[in-house]
Amino acid sequence: MPRISAETLIELAIQTLKTDVRDNLSGEGRYPLAMTINALETARREIMCEPEAATWALLDEIYDDGEGSLKELAKDIRAGTITDDTHPQLRARLEKHLIAELEVRNPRALKGRAHDAE
Amino acid sequence: MAEEARQRTLDTSNLSALEAFIADAVSASKAKVNEAQLLGGGAIQENWRVNVTVEDGPRAGDHTWVMRTDAAAVLSLSLDRASEFAVLQAAHGAGARAAEPIARCERDDIIGAPFLIQGFARGNAQARKIVRDPGLANWGSSLAADLAKQLARIHTVRPSNAEISALPVPIGNPAHQEIAKFRAALDGSPEPRPALEYVLCWLAENAPYYGRELALVHGDFRTGNYLVDDGQLTAILDWEFSHWGDPDEDIGWFCANCWRFGNAQLQAGGIASYADFIAPYEEAAGRKLDALKLRYWEIMAAAKWATIAHLQGDRYRKSGEQSVELALTGLMVTELELEAIDGLKAYEAGRGVY
Repeated sequence: MPRISAETLIELAIQTLKTDVRDNLSGEGRYPLAMTINALETARREIMCEPEAATWALLDEIYDDGEGSLKELAKDIRAGTITDDTHPQLRARLEKHLIAELEVRNPRALKGRAHDAE
Repeated sequence: MAEEARQRTLDTSNLSALEAFIADAVSASKAKVNEAQLLGGGAIQENWRVNVTVEDGPRAGDHTWVMRTDAAAVLSLSLDRASEFAVLQAAHGAGARAAEPIARCERDDIIGAPFLIQGFARGNAQARKIVRDPGLANWGSSLAADLAKQLARIHTVRPSNAEISALPVPIGNPAHQEIAKFRAALDGSPEPRPALEYVLCWLAENAPYYGRELALVHGDFRTGNYLVDDGQLTAILDWEFSHWGDPDEDIGWFCANCWRFGNAQLQAGGIASYADFIAPYEEAAGRKLDALKLRYWEIMAAAKWATIAHLQGDRYRKSGEQSVELALTGLMVTELELEAIDGLKAYEAGRGVY
């Protein structure tokens, strides 16, 4: 028997908002509803993936195993102690991290990006 | 750019104080506020449309004005209302289509905070409505050309010909001044953004040489911050991010992908092509623009909007402000960082924006 998981509940809530609620709302109410649906869809994607995995992959490239944090990395980049020269893969790793984050936050923004970046 | 939260609003308890202030400001014996309506859209400022009857003096008669004050949450990057009023005076004086500055109040005992009063202009400022207007194909190009000419007028205001004492004149490269502001803002954020720091380092290292006198930069010149009535520009709004800087900054901000509102192929603010905007600007300003330098300023635009979006998210992270819109805006930082990284790769490959 399928389990009623957090993901299922969010999916059902989204469907209810899209079918039962949206049609009964005026134009003014539709904008907050669209934002709410967007927020729920983002939450659903976050539950489905492991957002920490990309962060650890990024940090493992820069620091010794188990050390370092995003805060430290941000600080080191600003201070100029971690650069493209010291870590030639830095930009590519940061980009990969952003793509993983965007797959949760707004996957639509990734569509067509490869073409635009050409 | 750090935030300060407080509660305040115009209400019946302070109307009489406001009326007395207005009467004094416009040299009248009496002024009456007949109606006050809070206008939507100000994430940082409160804007009230006020219908005022002035009894006598040089402005005797009925007027519709806009009273502009700080909203509950304030970004410290914003100018205070007195400084904004001075900028408005300078821009209006230069012939730019800005609302007429009427009065300013630096006291906080009238309505609880400083405010300014400016002329009311008719029209719609909602970006998504403008870029999706069925008439855009007919008037988008002419609107872009008009905006370009107005921007060139704003950029004629220089520190040497305008007394805007509240605006500090930066020493050194103006791009570095912008980067310093963003870094200072990020210092107060509880959530680190290594990619944004990386982009800011790149911007600092690649800042273009600026050898001319600094110009008045609007600082938030984009679709959504001007009024359009039947395809015509009626007023340029929201001067609270104005500063002295490189005028190309405004062009990069106006054309950046993040301000095209889904009309990616209409690079000039989602309303027209680069050519429709750049050519009239070059003609009005009397100087040729550099497509690679504009790429730089579009990267700066993505970094700036990323910083601001991140700060909007901090309004929940730091202050617990309950708003799904602010939370979602905070999450936008990722796509803006990626947009900036794509931009710097294009720059390094020598690709200008057109």
